[in-house]
Amino acid sequence: MTTAIPESSYSVDVVERSANRMVLSMGPQHPSTHGVLQIITEIEGEIVTKASPEIGYLHTGIEKSAENLFWSQASTVIERMDYLSPLTNALCYYLAVEKLLGIDAQIPPRAQQVRVLLCELSRIASHCVWLGTGGIDLGALTGFFYCFDLRERILDLFEASGGARMHPNYIRVGGLGRDLPSGFLEKLDGVIAMYEPRMRDVRRLLQKNPILQDRMIDVGIISADDALAWSLTGPTLRATGIPYDVRRAFPYSGYEEYEFDVPTRTEGDAYARFLVRLDEMDEAMRIVRQVRKKLDTPGAWQIADTKFAPPPKETIALSMEALIHHFKLVSESFRVPPGDVYQPVEGPRGELGYYVVSNGDNRPWRVRTRPPSMYNLQVLKKIAIGELIADMVVMIGSLDPVFGEVDR
Amino acid sequence: MALGSGGDFLLTTVDAVARWAQSSSVWPLTMGLACCAIEMMTATAPEYDIARLGSEVFRASPRQADLMIVSGRVAQKMGPIVKRLYDQMADPKWVISMGACASSGGVFDNYAIVQGVDTIIPVDVYVPGCPPTPDGLLYAVNLIQQQIKQGGRGGILARA
Amino acid sequence: MPSSQTPPAGATALDPTAVRPDIADVVRIIRVVPAALRATLEELKGEGFSMLLDVGGADYPGREPARFDVVYHLLRIERTATTLAQVGAPDRVRVLCAVGESDPVLPTVTDLWPSADWAEREVYDLFGVRFDGHPDLRRIQMPDDWQGYPLRKDYPLRGPALERTPRPSFALKSNVAAGTPASGKTAAALQRQIAQARGNNSFMPGSGPAAAAQSGSQPGGTVSGGAATPGQLAQQPVNLKTEDNKS
Repeated sequence: MTTAIPESSYSVDVVERSANRMVLSMGPQHPSTHGVLQIITEIEGEIVTKASPEIGYLHTGIEKSAENLFWSQASTVIERMDYLSPLTNALCYYLAVEKLLGIDAQIPPRAQQVRVLLCELSRIASHCVWLGTGGIDLGALTGFFYCFDLRERILDLFEASGGARMHPNYIRVGGLGRDLPSGFLEKLDGVIAMYEPRMRDVRRLLQKNPILQDRMIDVGIISADDALAWSLTGPTLRATGIPYDVRRAFPYSGYEEYEFDVPTRTEGDAYARFLVRLDEMDEAMRIVRQVRKKLDTPGAWQIADTKFAPPPKETIALSMEALIHHFKLVSESFRVPPGDVYQPVEGPRGELGYYVVSNGDNRPWRVRTRPPSMYNLQVLKKIAIGELIADMVVMIGSLDPVFGEVDR
Repeated sequence: MALGSGGDFLLTTVDAVARWAQSSSVWPLTMGLACCAIEMMTATAPEYDIARLGSEVFRASPRQADLMIVSGRVAQKMGPIVKRLYDQMADPKWVISMGACASSGGVFDNYAIVQGVDTIIPVDVYVPGCPPTPDGLLYAVNLIQQQIKQGGRGGILARA
Repeated sequence: MPSSQTPPAGATALDPTAVRPDIADVVRIIRVVPAALRATLEELKGEGFSMLLDVGGADYPGREPARFDVVYHLLRIERTATTLAQVGAPDRVRVLCAVGESDPVLPTVTDLWPSADWAEREVYDLFGVRFDGHPDLRRIQMPDDWQGYPLRKDYPLRGPALERTPRPSFALKSNVAAGTPASGKTAAALQRQIAQARGNNSFMPGSGPAAAAQSGSQPGGTVSGGAATPGQLAQQPVNLKTEDNKS
């Protein structure tokens, strides 16, 4: 199956052409495109004169599936969008649902703290994958091993709390699926203690590495104007100088209580994005430490109103109301009053947003995702021009796309 | 075994040695599609280390790989590409369908996902899970190694 | 568990903008007719809404003649904002524009915000709304020759496949089943091992004296033989087809 792309279909003009032009299809099966991406590049020698990314090779129909599942079930498919930080997707979706339900002020503090904890751990785990695979693209394999080992310990935490390493479905409407299990906080302390020496090692390996710097500095430069025009968010935007972070601009889930910086750079090249993400990992761990202190005090982990979150299992045998609520929640879920809402969160890739529409039913009417990776990836059409074909891999890595989110 | 059986004996030993060699160096093709691909990458990481089973490198070129690990959901656009890559792989070749989506469509019983990669290519081992833990993938590779040693489709004297 | 093939109940008309003023997720919600869309968006861009957050679609089949909603989210942020204080809490605006099914065309905004390119292609691909002036309007998520617009409410969830995909013949065979020697690790081999460990062969159907007696009898009569001892009864496999199981 060859897709013939007509000449006129490229959205970015080529600066000049010559007879040495070759059309090269990178992907969709490629070791370094970070997923199923096809880039149809026109190259002259080694210089890229046009780059046309083709997406859709992982289109899963998640938004349509979500329309056919209950509100509380839809998160199972929604978590599988940005599969490197599934809990962030679930949190964003449930924040939107809670806003529509009108219960967003009733989420207990402990639930909010655990949500923040898991989202920041997801951020670190996601950046570990970015760093490891980005390093592999350049030939730096040791960094991959170090980063994935750190990620393993974080996945242990997800497995302990939610039951699965990826896609734990632990964040639910009104709070969490259950309280943190015993032993979790000790494991978390282990991860916190492991983080700093490990990242010191990784930075020593990579940050001032002359090969890495040679390959990343002045590659894929994005200006602040371009960043806004191409709707970039997240580390890609912050590396151009604009410190827009949803956690600071529109705090959710108690982020206003934590002290953290928003790393920003001005160069806008791949190395700047690299440094921004490294610093972001440190800031995420800073938040994790602050949350850890708060988790010592026990508290409610889900909303008290059992019309939205199931009652504690012990009460089902004792209270008729609890039994009925549990039955209704499982068999036909709750109904969400009609309305629409746009809820953003700061995912590892940028502003992840859900535009959720309800028509009063027990299923979502529409769940539209604002996918940060899709918008971040689009700028490749612009920044690849004039770069070497070998830099294409560096640029894709620095934009950090996840195709579950790009294609949905 | 009597030497009088001549060629049979020699071929049997060569066959067994060939199968042992093949099973000890199964090189997978990078067919990482979605979340399962991350767990596949984790299987190459130190904690699980698929290299100790012989899968030292994942080859990007289908000509150089003998195992295709379909890890992730196969979208409608991607289906023909998976088939083409499978056809490009040289015999003997094996296929692991990793995860629920590759095995049967998984959670996504809808228009966009091919309901099981075994509708396009023959599969040797199915690994359940969403995603399966890297341990599951290692066990699947073990099962492939057993199949190779028993002379399943694709021994050095390939059978149809 | 909701069925994947029946449409959700309550497919009624809905105008979201009129419904929930208490949710203050955006500072302004503007609903425009298609003729006024370009002017509104250009004006907003002039007011400083330099980032197009998202272009999305929604389908309200009961709301003809304005069936589809195309929803634009904009963010007011300046390139000169270099500190957190300067960025602050940027204003966000939602612009909704409804088009009907008979002529679903809207003007493109790719010249205002280049990032609208893929987003508008996706709305076209999944809803069928065309964008006048788009440089490259073709499908983005589905294959180029796909028929139908999947996210429309009247498009079935399973798409053109109305039943479960049949398994082709090669999918039913695996290497192990294709005649390779027993590995000792299949379920049948395991049961044989268990039977040997128990020291009797009548555990397996088709082996042992009890089964030999039953293989010649009419279907359904494992226990009606009468000569069965309690020990044998315990070992005999349960024949679910039996009607007169007197055990």
